[in-house]
Amino acid sequence: MGAFNSLTYNSNICIGCGECMMACAKAKSGDADRFDQSRIKIVPAGDNKFEAALCRQCGDANCVVNCPAGALTKNAASGVVDWNADLCVTCLLCTVGCAYGGITFESSVGHVAKCDTCGGDPACVKVCKSGALGYVTTASIYNDYGKQEDLFAPGLAACQGCNSELMIRHVLRRVGRNVVVAAPPGCIPGMGTVGYNGKAGAKVPIFHPLLTNTASMLAGLKRTYERQGRDVTALALAGDGGASDVGFQSLSGAAERGEHILFLCFDNEGYMNTGMQASSATSFGSWTSTTPVGDKLQGKRTDAKNLPMVMMMHNAAYVATASSVFMEDFYRKLDKALAASKQGFAYLHLYAPCPSGWRFPASLTIDVCRLMVESNFVTLWEYTPETGLVFTRPTDKPKPLESYLKAIGKYRHLAQEQVDRIKKLLEDRLVLLKRFVR
Amino acid sequence: MTAMTKPGKVVVLDGNEAAAKGVALARPDVVAVYPITPQSSLVEHLSSLIASGELDAELMNVEGEHSVLSALQGAALAGARTYTATSGPGLAFMFEPYIRQPGLRLPMVASLVTRDTLTPQCVWGGHQDAMLVRECGWIHMYCETVQEILDSVIMGYKVAEHPEIMLPVNVNHDGNYLSFGVTRCEIPEQGLVDDFLGPKNINWHAALDPERPMSVDPLTGNAGGAGPSMFVRYRKGQTEAMAHALDIIAEVHADWAKRTGRHHAPLVEEYRLEGAEVALITLGSMTGAAKDCCDALRAGGRKVGVIKVKTYRPFPVAAMARALSQVKAVGVMDRSVSYGWNSGPMHQDTLTVLGKTGLRMPCLSFIGGLAGADITEAHFERAYDAVFKAVSGDMPPGPLWVNEKD
Repeated sequence: MGAFNSLTYNSNICIGCGECMMACAKAKSGDADRFDQSRIKIVPAGDNKFEAALCRQCGDANCVVNCPAGALTKNAASGVVDWNADLCVTCLLCTVGCAYGGITFESSVGHVAKCDTCGGDPACVKVCKSGALGYVTTASIYNDYGKQEDLFAPGLAACQGCNSELMIRHVLRRVGRNVVVAAPPGCIPGMGTVGYNGKAGAKVPIFHPLLTNTASMLAGLKRTYERQGRDVTALALAGDGGASDVGFQSLSGAAERGEHILFLCFDNEGYMNTGMQASSATSFGSWTSTTPVGDKLQGKRTDAKNLPMVMMMHNAAYVATASSVFMEDFYRKLDKALAASKQGFAYLHLYAPCPSGWRFPASLTIDVCRLMVESNFVTLWEYTPETGLVFTRPTDKPKPLESYLKAIGKYRHLAQEQVDRIKKLLEDRLVLLKRFVR
Repeated sequence: MTAMTKPGKVVVLDGNEAAAKGVALARPDVVAVYPITPQSSLVEHLSSLIASGELDAELMNVEGEHSVLSALQGAALAGARTYTATSGPGLAFMFEPYIRQPGLRLPMVASLVTRDTLTPQCVWGGHQDAMLVRECGWIHMYCETVQEILDSVIMGYKVAEHPEIMLPVNVNHDGNYLSFGVTRCEIPEQGLVDDFLGPKNINWHAALDPERPMSVDPLTGNAGGAGPSMFVRYRKGQTEAMAHALDIIAEVHADWAKRTGRHHAPLVEEYRLEGAEVALITLGSMTGAAKDCCDALRAGGRKVGVIKVKTYRPFPVAAMARALSQVKAVGVMDRSVSYGWNSGPMHQDTLTVLGKTGLRMPCLSFIGGLAGADITEAHFERAYDAVFKAVSGDMPPGPLWVNEKD
């Protein structure tokens, strides 16, 4: 079974305006005022909150089970629970089975009605001002790339909750077998991708460069294949230490020369594999094992080097930041970066919150990823020399920074002035980034 | 079988240009360059040869020596024949990928245009840079003449890429004296070099190639499991290949001599050792002055000879023992120091040969030619005098600093 796109509803931000019901009514009956014809019903739930009576397109739907006539079926292609008017006997057993009010009898038309997601283009979502309604289409990623071979060995030994392992598997599924992978010392080879004692961790050619020379080794390799007339993708799966500290010279040189490399940096803000030491990518105030918290020192004393911005200033063919919580955005950027790497240097910066090193529960990685973006602690954008910088997620209504900092143990000690400094830094950085928008 | 030797074109050039010409004849696929005194004119020549189309190679102008060698390792893992050159501080900066190359068993030739090391600040010739990397697993060959540079660069590829060797080779020539010294040089025909080197196969053993997927250099070693024995297998294999390289170097020099008529001693050259009582051991371009001094002293009836070391790593123990067995005392002229032994590095090597072979004789350490200082015939004559004194029991307690009073 594949994955399905689905409508989502967030009761926390719904303002109960009813625009969705009007849009649905218009879509289904041609008349926006026929609320009874809307297949979504926004209902008051007390305390100025609202709930939606809406079909959840259940995987194991009670309505389908209850239907004695075979009029309701789960569509294996779209995932929608389809209703067939020709078979329906209007027994209403389906409405009894549904706990969500997702299928109800409409007296004006004389039969049950339910959401059909407008064939994958739901009218309600388009008019929702609050953002409470959404249509998640990331199922296509599972369907499109889930069929692609996972080119890493099973059983890599990443920490629980690590999104880097998840992301490298995504990356190689997309990039495929015609690749050479450089995994400089750090979490990615540490989890076993290159292998141990002669056993390989991947099904593609993969190697340990030095921490310092990832981009240079790939550059020589790529130039050789181009000289041989072969199109082989040169891919780096590096950490932030190997990219922004000792590996920076080779990275900068390769970008300046426009080497045809796809360089991915997994930014977990430090040397997490070796015991959570600070790197130049560690954010201000962070506790790490080399920026400890005590009477004299309270975490890292300097701001993080913003490597994606630095790479943008190299005028590389493609530079982008991405988060594992916005996978469509990530895949779009990966595709662009892959294409750009055939002609020039492509740099993709992936945020990789580290449960072990940042001190948050392994179950919360995706939440932390989301908060990180939604609080503007990091921003998602892409850059090409032709387009300039383009933000790919809105930055205008950030969640409070504190909601992000409080989720993470490495900031537990922060004094208010440290928080204020981070706020100021983030505001200034956003102003600076916006200047690169054309 | 007697192969016909083919005369080449005779030109006048300096050592750096000779190296560049030798490289071009070896047809590398990828050349990575970063300039440094006194190597710069070498990579300038190479860049020109590639720019003019005379050499069909990929030129990588990278941002430092560390990336120079790194890029070439990547290229070699994709099957490329590679080349670079460096000196002094550049070699120091290259150190991290440098120590890795032999373990990867990636053959290549890199010229060390030797230079003394900082500090005191200097940009002049000396062997200290190359001596500091003598235990890294690279083959080191030192050249005496401009012609030997050109020939050794080409021979270097044949040694490096030999399937029983698969190790990188440093062909070393002295900064200033050889890099900028202009002399006659015979350039062999391209066809001769092509026949000599044969088809190349750089990455048959370790490749980064989607058509032959493998992990290159996964983690190994540690205690327990397959790690310790696997690590030993790699290390021992590398060490044995290094030792075996002495045989291959000799074979390759013989083959080259047959084709070109130019005989360079592959390991150790014995110069006028017949009937000699004492000898001086030399390395690199200083050998010319040592031979001139030897000739002059011989003309005066003094029984002296010269032992020139060509292949310094692996150290040619048997060849050196054979040479030493013909004299009563020896002096070693180092253009570098061994801080740990208060002598020269080659002096320590010579003492080891004496110890290993049971030969007993006075063995003096001379340190000269540091930071571009000249070791003249007069210096060599004084060195011979000191060795003769040692034969009669007057053994200096420490090294003799040749240019101390210049």
